[in-house]
Amino acid sequence: MNEEEIPAPASPIPHLEFKAALLLALFLVLVVGTALYLMYARGTFETTQRLVLVAEDSEGVRVGMDLTFSGFAIGRVRRIELAPDGNARILVDVPQQDAHWLRESSVFTLVRSLVGGASLKAYSGVLTDPPLADGAERKVLVGDTSAELPRLVAAARELIQNLTQMSASDSALAGSLGNLQSLTERLKGPRGAAGVLLGSDADAQKLGVTLERVNTLLARLDGIAVKADAQVLGPNGVVPESRATIVQLNAMLGDARATLKKVDSVLAEAQAVAANARVATTDLNALRSEVDTTVRKVEQLVDEVNRKWPFARETELKLR
Amino acid sequence: MAPLHHSLADTGHAAARWLAGWWRIVHLGALLLALALSPSSYAAEGRRSLMRHIYLSTAPALPWFSVLTTLISLILIRIVLVTALSYGLSQYALEMVVRVLVLELIPLTAALFAALRCSFPHAADIAVLRAQGGWDAWSRGGADALRVEVLPRVAAGVFCALMLAAVSCVVAFVVAYLSVYGLAASGFVAYTHTVGHVFNPAVSLIFSLKIVFFGIAVALIPIASVLDREPTLGARMSAELRGLLRMFLIIVIIEAASLVGNYY
Repeated sequence: MNEEEIPAPASPIPHLEFKAALLLALFLVLVVGTALYLMYARGTFETTQRLVLVAEDSEGVRVGMDLTFSGFAIGRVRRIELAPDGNARILVDVPQQDAHWLRESSVFTLVRSLVGGASLKAYSGVLTDPPLADGAERKVLVGDTSAELPRLVAAARELIQNLTQMSASDSALAGSLGNLQSLTERLKGPRGAAGVLLGSDADAQKLGVTLERVNTLLARLDGIAVKADAQVLGPNGVVPESRATIVQLNAMLGDARATLKKVDSVLAEAQAVAANARVATTDLNALRSEVDTTVRKVEQLVDEVNRKWPFARETELKLR
Repeated sequence: MAPLHHSLADTGHAAARWLAGWWRIVHLGALLLALALSPSSYAAEGRRSLMRHIYLSTAPALPWFSVLTTLISLILIRIVLVTALSYGLSQYALEMVVRVLVLELIPLTAALFAALRCSFPHAADIAVLRAQGGWDAWSRGGADALRVEVLPRVAAGVFCALMLAAVSCVVAFVVAYLSVYGLAASGFVAYTHTVGHVFNPAVSLIFSLKIVFFGIAVALIPIASVLDREPTLGARMSAELRGLLRMFLIIVIIEAASLVGNYY
């Protein structure tokens, strides 16, 4: 060992004990302060009430996880246990100051997402309901994203199979696309859509000829139409003459109407005559009855005269 | 067959010596613990020596270690926050900061810093004093030397490691809060909730034990290595280097054990 390695004699430090005590005090303050802060963070100094959530499956739930309400943590899972009926009982501690968010009508859900752990959520629709009692037991509704995955995968596989079949080289779609391609090539050809519709070039050519003849026919029809127009609507056409005829017909109809009015008056008079005749008939009936009465009286008178007359004959027949 | 026998015998001897070396460290630790629990160690002279070493080991390093920790924490927290934000996982950023930084990195950094700043200089002092006085820690005469020279230095080393860990943890807590919420007090409830979420009883216990064991390891092993009775044990390397290797081995074991405890 050389001289340089020998420690130097301790030089006196002023207020050594005070400084060392200060250092120890700082250490104690740091440790105790951190311990108290962690205890506060763990909710050691909070009064809590117990909430028991019952789930069929506690997968994803772990001790220490939060119960959230509107995104704010209002409780913490303290314990998970298996109930005698096979359900999982999740024991949640809710601080008294946050317990007013939980009501009798509150609904609790356990949501398992793809990223991150499961989350326990509380929903209170009616905040005027009575507050949830300490130790209350509630069913928890489970929403499982991962449970949907197998179904999703199966559906996706089916879809992919269909797509594979559709896109295969011998598939109907590929055949249709091939046909479509040949169709578009023919559309681009000299005969165009007519060739596609009629199938062969010869037919397409016939169609062309037909179209030309139709055009000629249409031109001739046009001429005919012009002539017909002149004959029908011209100064000596059918329409002006018809109009004059109609005027004459109107006049004739006026005459006929006058004649009919006269006939009407004649009929009225005839009606009056008939009425008179009916009245006369009634009078005749009365007259006949009076004649009948008179005749009967005359007969009775003749009978009376015969009876009283000395030359009266025996009119009665007697059997001998 | 003779060379094989010799080889096996050499390996066996080496393993036995290696285990004996660890046993001497444990033995020295037990001796020092007994001395630390003995009231006679805190007589006027011993107390003054203890105070002196505690102060000289910790106080000069504290300010600039705090500054260094603040800078490192700031950078790491910023990296974690930006990365989490870019992946759309900002809600997990704070928890990750607390877990990675406060639980894992800061205690390790504090322990290594305490070892380099305090324990290895103390070990060098002890080596010099032992060479001067010719005492043996395990002899009857060595007990006084242990009480007067070794115990204050080991205690100061443990205290230094614990103090630096405590300061750096508090600094990391504060820097994490300021990085996420700024100077506003509105995030205190959410931040406290997150911290409480991470520090459940098991994690808190493992964290405390880890810091204490780190402190003991970094304070004891370098000094115990230079006090080893068998200087021929590792002829190819010095006692300081041997102590460094042993200390690293123990630190790795403690860290691995804490990870297993926290995450399995």
